[in-house]
Amino acid sequence: MLRLEAIGVQLGAFRLKNISLHVEPGAYLVLLGPTGTGKTVLLETIAGLHRPTGGRTWIDGKDATRWPPEKRNLGVVYQDYALFPHLTVQENIAFGLRLKKEARGEIKKTVEEMAGFLEIGHLLNRRPGRLSGGEQQRVALARALVLKPYVLLLDEPLSALDRSTRGRLRRELKRIHRELGVTIFHITHDLPEAFFLADHLALMKDGGILQEGKPEMVLRRPRSRTVAELLGIENLLRGTKEGERYLSGLGALDIPEFPSREATGRESAVYFSVPGWCVEIFPGKGDNPYTWKGKMRLAAMNFMNGHVDLDLVYPSGEHLKTSLSRREFGNLPVSIAVGIVVPVGILKEGVYWFPR
Amino acid sequence: MRNFKAVIWCLSTIVILMIVIPLARMMMAADPAILRATISEPEVYSSILLTLRSALWATLVCAVFGIPLAYILARWKFPGKSFVQGLIDLPIMIPHTAAGIALLMVYGRRFFLGRAFEKLGIGFVGTEAGISLAMAFVSLPFLVNAARDGFISVDPRLERVARTLGATPWRSFFKVSLPLTWRPILSGAIMMWARGISEFGAVIILAYHPMTAPILIWERFQSYGLKYATPVAVVLILICLIIFSLLRWLATRPREA
Repeated sequence: MLRLEAIGVQLGAFRLKNISLHVEPGAYLVLLGPTGTGKTVLLETIAGLHRPTGGRTWIDGKDATRWPPEKRNLGVVYQDYALFPHLTVQENIAFGLRLKKEARGEIKKTVEEMAGFLEIGHLLNRRPGRLSGGEQQRVALARALVLKPYVLLLDEPLSALDRSTRGRLRRELKRIHRELGVTIFHITHDLPEAFFLADHLALMKDGGILQEGKPEMVLRRPRSRTVAELLGIENLLRGTKEGERYLSGLGALDIPEFPSREATGRESAVYFSVPGWCVEIFPGKGDNPYTWKGKMRLAAMNFMNGHVDLDLVYPSGEHLKTSLSRREFGNLPVSIAVGIVVPVGILKEGVYWFPR
Repeated sequence: MRNFKAVIWCLSTIVILMIVIPLARMMMAADPAILRATISEPEVYSSILLTLRSALWATLVCAVFGIPLAYILARWKFPGKSFVQGLIDLPIMIPHTAAGIALLMVYGRRFFLGRAFEKLGIGFVGTEAGISLAMAFVSLPFLVNAARDGFISVDPRLERVARTLGATPWRSFFKVSLPLTWRPILSGAIMMWARGISEFGAVIILAYHPMTAPILIWERFQSYGLKYATPVAVVLILICLIIFSLLRWLATRPREA
């Protein structure tokens, strides 16, 4: 297990505060946060490249806080690949194995196997400068993976790639994780990438970890407005909580109790987090699955390539955003246009609240 | 477009002519008979060799100390860095006779450092070591600055990756940083060597004898006049032209892809 215990780092303009995280063996942890929050600094600190001002790093049960990078056996892959331009692909991948003074034949075999696994076997004698971004990133992955790292640290590995290559390499990362069983710590600012890959998600902003957990749980139970915004939750309604009564711009909401939630004051200002997917127009019968039902006016409608974005407004001025797939849109009981009033329901399943 | 090219070529040609005309004039003026005699003269021959050799020594020794300094300047921040940077450029600016006097005051017998070296059997006044020292002092900036710029152009992430792949800081330096910088370093070393060969002011003060080529040219000019100074100069220039064209070609050859 890789464990960070109250790690603090000061590096130029970046300050990381009191970061605690643990990465279970075999996990795929994604650290999501906007650019400029110190994600790379954190990753490099884990790799041993910056000395923390406080806290401890544990690797495999040993206190590794003061270990130099070369003793940690953590692989690093950067956004811009950082391949050695003066070496061939084969020499790049073999770099670490050669430092370990492994036998030549052994190195050759390992490199060829890994190159085969990542489908770059035909590039071994080329120099990295002439390869495409996707090919370079595979080489960088191979170079780290041949050393069987305890944890593979990925720093925005897909961000420099074009769209289609990014999609392909994203699936490739999943395959690497599944087939090699390597533990991965991946940082990114890309939301779909995070949800596609993570089995554990941590959110970071301004040098601190805001929340972590299973992606599904983080999405359903955002702890703060910043988290909800990072997760791209479409609707955040301002409201109040008075004991068991929840009030918002839409009126009273029927919110289920969350046993795990930390106790707050009896009466407080809150936000309701309402993901777009739990806003239904023409909701089904019965009140039970719904937090709220009412009529709203369709204020705007945008046709995107696979879905339709809807902006609904309540007489109080409260807005709800949602989207329908093209198929759902076609199956609506009546055809809708901007200006009409439609029945709307909010599913209990996705709604959550947190203090303002 | 055509205008642009024409102007650029014209301006460049003027620069080249500025260098070529005086040199060509001198070579043409050299009496062929005296030139032939000069080439076979042991004093000229050994003086040119001495110049090339002591400048080369200066460069090699300074490379050992100057490359680490260049690396520090490229990679690390520390208080007073701009001041250190300024210090390194200083030898280019100060009059080289002044540099020679300063060196004489430190490495001469009247200062403890000079006496200490003398006890170790290394004298700097009137010796080949002194020549190298004077050359090193005035030409070091060329090597350090070139190497520093070279290191700056290497992405520090390459060194970091090397570390995570198991390289000690030493290994990472010798396997990544240095191989990626050898070209600018070589280019800087060539410049330093060249600058050392041409040095007159600092050398003449620290070591009039043994006589390097620039001093020999000066001495012949003083004692026998222009006619006998020119052939030595011509020989030195021709040798330098051949060596440095070759080295430049070596240092700028495109890297194989």
